Amino acid sequence: MIKKLFTVRNLLILLAVIALFAVSGLLRLRVVLPEVSLAAEPIFYIGSFAVTNSLLTSWLVMIVLIVVAFLATRRMPKDLESASNEELVPRGSLQNALEMIVEGFYGMTRNVGGSWAPKFFPIIMTMFLFVILSNFSGLLPFVSSVGLLEHPHGAQPGHVAVGVVLTAVKAPVSEEGYVLIPFLRAPSTDLNFPLALALVTVTLSQYFGLRALKLGYVKKFFNFSGFKKGVLMGVALLVAGLLEIVSEFAKIISLTFRLFGNILAGEVLLAVLAFLIPYLVSVPFYGLEVFVGFVQALVFFMLTLVFFSLAVTGHSEEAHS
Amino acid sequence: MDVVGMKSLAAAFAIAVGAIGPGIGIGILAGKAMEAIGRNPEATGQIQTNMILAIVFAEAIAIYALVVALIILFV
Repeated sequence: MIKKLFTVRNLLILLAVIALFAVSGLLRLRVVLPEVSLAAEPIFYIGSFAVTNSLLTSWLVMIVLIVVAFLATRRMPKDLESASNEELVPRGSLQNALEMIVEGFYGMTRNVGGSWAPKFFPIIMTMFLFVILSNFSGLLPFVSSVGLLEHPHGAQPGHVAVGVVLTAVKAPVSEEGYVLIPFLRAPSTDLNFPLALALVTVTLSQYFGLRALKLGYVKKFFNFSGFKKGVLMGVALLVAGLLEIVSEFAKIISLTFRLFGNILAGEVLLAVLAFLIPYLVSVPFYGLEVFVGFVQALVFFMLTLVFFSLAVTGHSEEAHS
Repeated sequence: MDVVGMKSLAAAFAIAVGAIGPGIGIGILAGKAMEAIGRNPEATGQIQTNMILAIVFAEAIAIYALVVALIILFV
């Protein structure tokens, strides 16, 4: 058993790790205590429009999604209705894998959404893929660790830079110190990204509700029918409608902060652990963050699906039947 | 006490109090899930998935507290 561990490959890996420790010890490289910036930093400007690092990363994620989708569907028959069974067989491992994922999630959508699943599925699956790739993009090497060195704008003194490497030594005067402005930053750690997705989700749920129940959907928020049974009942139903309106806004806030907080907290956790005990301790937590990134995307998917399904099921019929 | 010290205290207090509720909630959740698995071991997979989903919802409340603590500390 132990003999099997001493292969050439494992010994080389061990040597590489020891060399890494030796080099970082000789150069006195230390992990910097991360300076958490809640706002994304602008990298360049198009006219007066600031392109932030998280926006740039979300564009890259979109490009990856589009290219993968194109490659996976390239060999599909153009006309799915008249295609023979043989033509519908997935060709290539990429198409096979993606069809498996999409089919699995479509099954979940059909369980909750019922007959509305074909309408819900495209938008929520797109959101899921976008969110999961955004969450994982922060875990890639060089993302949020390679960037421009700039003088800090705030009161913090910044760190001394040796050549192009930022060291852990605090600069004595604020003019001489540097902070890192990374080129890439996970979109989920920028509040604007989850906020935009949450706004789209809640607005779309109103749209689906209006489409399914017509004017009956508005009755959920402004219900005057209670006045037939007396003033007290009427006022009570109006207050209940008010609570429904408040809960729509609460949905936006909870969706936004759940995604933002989890992913940001994960990145801060990894950076702080790397600062406390370098190299070793952050490795298991890296695995945890991969899991958290997947689960948060799944939760976003499930919640969006449930909000849509709740919007299309009638409120009043349910209570009376 | 100076502003920095007060800020650190406030951040620590925010996350400390905010972690109590989700901690109790996750404990109850996991305990009930274990009970359910003990009674019906064939349904382990399904119970586990639902347990993890529910735990994530409870955990989100602690995350809100964490976000507030981060905002107090860094903004």
